Amino acid sequence: MKKFTLKQLPTDNLHLVHPQRFRIDYKKELNAEQYEAVTSVDGPHLIIAGAGTGKTRTVVYRVAYLVELGVKPDNILLLTFTRKAAQDMLRRATILLDSRCEHISGGTFHSFANNVLRRYAVKLGYETNYSILDQGDAEDVVSLVRTRLKFDTKEKRFPRKEALYDLYSRSINTMTPVKELLALDYPHYLEIEPDIQMVHNGYVQYKHQHNLMDYDDLLVNFALLLNKDESIRAVLSDRYKYIMVDEYQDTNRVQAELVKLLAFKHRNIMVVGDDAQCIYSFRGSTIKNIMTFPQEFPDCKVVKLEENFRSTQPILNLANEILKRGTVS
Amino acid sequence: MYYKELYTRRSGGSLPQLISTENENMQSRYVVQKILELREQGVPLEEIAVLFRSSFLSFDLEIELTKANIPFVKFGGYKFVETSHVKDVVAYLRVLENPRDVVSWNRILLLIDGVGPRTAEKVVDDILKRRVSLSSDGRESLPTTKFWMQFNDYAENVQKLFDVLKQASLANLGPAEKTFQILQYYEPILRARYDDHQKRKKDLEMFQNITERYKEVDALLTDLALEPPNESVVDVESPGPEEEFLTLSTIHSAKGLEWNSVFIIYALEGRFPTMRSVASDEEVEEERRLMYVACTRAKANLFITYPMNVYDRESGLILTKPSRFIQGLGEHLLEPWVVE
Repeated sequence: MKKFTLKQLPTDNLHLVHPQRFRIDYKKELNAEQYEAVTSVDGPHLIIAGAGTGKTRTVVYRVAYLVELGVKPDNILLLTFTRKAAQDMLRRATILLDSRCEHISGGTFHSFANNVLRRYAVKLGYETNYSILDQGDAEDVVSLVRTRLKFDTKEKRFPRKEALYDLYSRSINTMTPVKELLALDYPHYLEIEPDIQMVHNGYVQYKHQHNLMDYDDLLVNFALLLNKDESIRAVLSDRYKYIMVDEYQDTNRVQAELVKLLAFKHRNIMVVGDDAQCIYSFRGSTIKNIMTFPQEFPDCKVVKLEENFRSTQPILNLANEILKRGTVS
Repeated sequence: MYYKELYTRRSGGSLPQLISTENENMQSRYVVQKILELREQGVPLEEIAVLFRSSFLSFDLEIELTKANIPFVKFGGYKFVETSHVKDVVAYLRVLENPRDVVSWNRILLLIDGVGPRTAEKVVDDILKRRVSLSSDGRESLPTTKFWMQFNDYAENVQKLFDVLKQASLANLGPAEKTFQILQYYEPILRARYDDHQKRKKDLEMFQNITERYKEVDALLTDLALEPPNESVVDVESPGPEEEFLTLSTIHSAKGLEWNSVFIIYALEGRFPTMRSVASDEEVEEERRLMYVACTRAKANLFITYPMNVYDRESGLILTKPSRFIQGLGEHLLEPWVVE
């Protein structure tokens, strides 16, 4: 007797739209590598996009492709380095395909974190109308706390407010203890490390008491919320079924953690970036995120974009050579 | 690193050039002259950029450009919302939203003539003592006009502040109207505090325009905090949009952009990579990536320059060597030029 085996059908009706019915001719409008990246849908993906290789174009087409496949725009999240980048990409996708692309959530990690925290901050003991401190404000608060704790006396040297805030912020962004950073950058202050720590605790307390969050708090509190509250994590992961992160080489460690937390249910995560253009480590970004992505997601697919549409070959030869002479890491 | 080799299918193009000059000013004059040449050849100023590792490296060039009447805009300096007058105005809006924002309270109280830290502290204590009415879900609601009406027996100078906050707190006012009220109150302060208040007023007009786009104050504040708008008028005198201008930029601020012709100045060991970075392999590699980012901004012409006689005050050394990233690359990659 012949046998017919029943297969598990995809639950979301995905992949049922036949490519012939797509409005955009992806194969014609993209080169082979871009096409490969754009049509990669489920699971983790790392797209290494060299300078001038049409990275933005690739992201825009991928967004359109997902929507054409039948993914609900509400279920797509696009995280970028600036708000303008997200707006531009979604506008281009809208022109390319149709107005469905307007309903995709796009923005920076900080604005996305803020949107979520405005709803759930109460769970962390904040009120939802908290103020956001920019760097200058944050430094002023540090200074105020230092004065209150009487560390502003002239008898003993104590770091200035800018240095203190920089220390605290980098400690959080790089997840390195303050003590280690002190040893590295300000060894002459090592002996007063407990005092510096005390000011830090005071700073944290002050912010909480007065309903204030600095930039780092937005990310850290978001991660805290996701770690602490499984139901919120599940709600967000269910909502954002396809997550894309642009400029992944410029993310810091908290942001990499957020990516993992948000994608925990489906692991449909595509990160795009160029390790050769990681230039913001002084702000806490770490090249490690993009380098270790394949270890974090062992089944990830890597696609490299190498065809440049910007420069002449002599300029590219020079650029290639400059990189090649670097110490291999 | 992920191995990759950039290529283009288009052919042609001239070799990038490495230009050494005797000193800094010659470097500046070379760049000016070359820019004028490029313009003669039909490259508009918008398609030309001068990039550098650190913002201060372009000071001498800025002077030469001004002398030659070449308009330019510099990127990588202060941002609009980081200027103190814009921060002042934002502080008023912030206490309207979050009356427990002590940082903003201190800022706006100390702006008042006759108010010092002690008075400010007293006022803040008074504010913190009064609870804002709680709504049923336990979340603190926004303070109403009623909240602001409690403050009515202060000395005249402080009372004026509470009066304007009360006015601006009216629920039917949008962000633009609230800002308008605040600006009327703030204008005498601006005039008294800043010599260049007229320039700064332009910033505040721009700020007023930005507020028109918003329906809610909290959305406005969030955007200002998270995504500051571009440069302030005080910091960069940008020519009108109809005028042609050259771009001066730090490499960090040039990321993602492209120009027909790019100059990278001060490709000098000790400046790029910086003196500070050379002690650590990791930091040197980041500097190398910066050089890579700078080079890949150019579409057709790339000029890398370095002055050969630069005294470094901090170390007492004289810097003479080209950046390690471009030294000894061979003439098939980088064409050497000397300026005389």
